[in-house]
Order: sequence, then C-alpha cells, then structure tokens
Amino acid sequence: MSDRRRAIASLPRRVVGTAAVGVLAVAAVIAGVLAASASGTSGSSPARAFGLPAAGSAPAGWHRATLAGGAAVLAYPPVMQLVSSDRGAASAAQLSSSGEYLLYLNATPKQGDESLRNWPQFRLGHLTDDDASSAHELATISGVRFLGGTGTCVKDDYVTKVGAHHFTEIACFVQGRTSASVIVAAAPTASWASLSGLLGRAIAGYVVR
Amino acid sequence: MSHTLTRSLVGLALLAALAAGCSSSSSPAKPSTPPSHSVTAPAHNSIPQNNGGDHDGDNNGGPSDGDGNL
Repeated sequence: MSDRRRAIASLPRRVVGTAAVGVLAVAAVIAGVLAASASGTSGSSPARAFGLPAAGSAPAGWHRATLAGGAAVLAYPPVMQLVSSDRGAASAAQLSSSGEYLLYLNATPKQGDESLRNWPQFRLGHLTDDDASSAHELATISGVRFLGGTGTCVKDDYVTKVGAHHFTEIACFVQGRTSASVIVAAAPTASWASLSGLLGRAIAGYVVR
Repeated sequence: MSHTLTRSLVGLALLAALAAGCSSSSSPAKPSTPPSHSVTAPAHNSIPQNNGGDHDGDNNGGPSDGDGNL
C-alpha cells in the first residue's frame, strides 16, 4: 500500500477523533453555561454562595431601629445596643469592656453617588478615602434579594487609620421601591468566622421600602 | 482534502465553544467573585481622623459606617 493510500485509509479515524474532541469541548462549555444560568435565576442561591442566608424576618427578640422617614428597618440581636451615628442613620454595636468593637451594624440612607452598579468600587474607594489605610475586596455579589428590595453587596477587609484595627465587613447597597440605603455588618477579622453568621442574619432581616 | 476537512471541523468546534461562552451574560444575578483588588488610602483624607471630623466611631478606629461621604 502506497503512502498516499495509507493516508487516505487513516483519514476517517483522524477526522472522527478530532470531531469527537470538538463536540465534547462544546458540550462541556454548554453544560457549564446552563449550570451557571440555573444558579443565577434564584436570588437566594448567589446569596448563599456569598455566605448570606435568604432574606427573612429577624429572629424573635431582636431589636429594631428605623431610619428617618421609615426608609429602612435595621434589626440587631439583643447582645448589641444602639450607639452614636450620623444624623439620619442607625448603628448598633457590641463593645468589649475596654470599648473595642466586637460586632457592628449600621444602616444609612443613600447620600452620594453610590448605586447598585458601582457599589463595590464606591465602597472600597470610600473606605480608603475616609477611615482605612488599606482595604481589600474579598467578594462581590449583585441581585441579592432583601425584604422590600434588591441589593449589591461587597465583602472586604480593611485596616483603620486610627489604631490599625483589622475589620472584615459585608456592606450592601439596597434599592427599595421608594428609597435606597446602605447596611454594613462588621466584626474584627480575627473573630469574623465565628460572628459572620449572626451578622448575616441581620443583613437578611434588613427591611427597605 | 483530509487536512482541509480536519481544519474545518476543528474551527467549527472552536467557534461553537466561543459562541456558547459568550451567551452566559444574560444571568440576572452574578455569583460571588474571587478576590480582585486592594485599595490603599490616597494622600488626602476627606474626613479628619482622631475626632477631627464628624465624631463617628469610624473616625476613631471603629468600623466604617455606610455614609456616602457627605
């Protein structure tokens, strides 16, 4: 058999093999796209991946603070108490005996150019412009369902300019039907792993109008 | 002819994979993203620290609140 005939005889197997690899690659890509689309159709699924429980009423016994005009309601656990904050905002904290922040929640009406679209960049930029010597984005998520609205959240950690305290936070910009506001949940980074569940529950119970 | 047919099939498969990858932007909610960037403080500070500003806890080493820098 000549070289030319051997080449022709081997053609079908090479063609079939190449085509099979191509089809498998396309099938894998399509399967991945379908899986990603399925997870993105539910507002609660991405939130769970972000470490947030699905939106729901705060547990019985939690306290509530309402923003001016009723724009939003911040729920906080009994271990926390209201602390001073900006006019029109609400903050709750648990402090150590020496005054160190152990848990922190804040709700503030929209004040600047923050939006659902630019929130992660806005938040990190504001942190370093205002209070932090450095800030590091850990994760972001959009399309988060809240009670009465939808939000974009960023999880980050930062070091304060004063005292070099290291905090981890989840900060969400939430758009309701008639108002927009921000909820911040923070704790010292060293204790974030054990406290993030409680703070996540407060975020899930945040109500906007 | 055999090489032409092989190249055509490979090219078709790559185009199909590219088209499928581009179609994923229609999801209404994005899952969490991996760590992307860090930010360090600029030279100027909008709100003075050490009780020099609005006396928030976040100007004294406490956690940052959600103000919009107004």
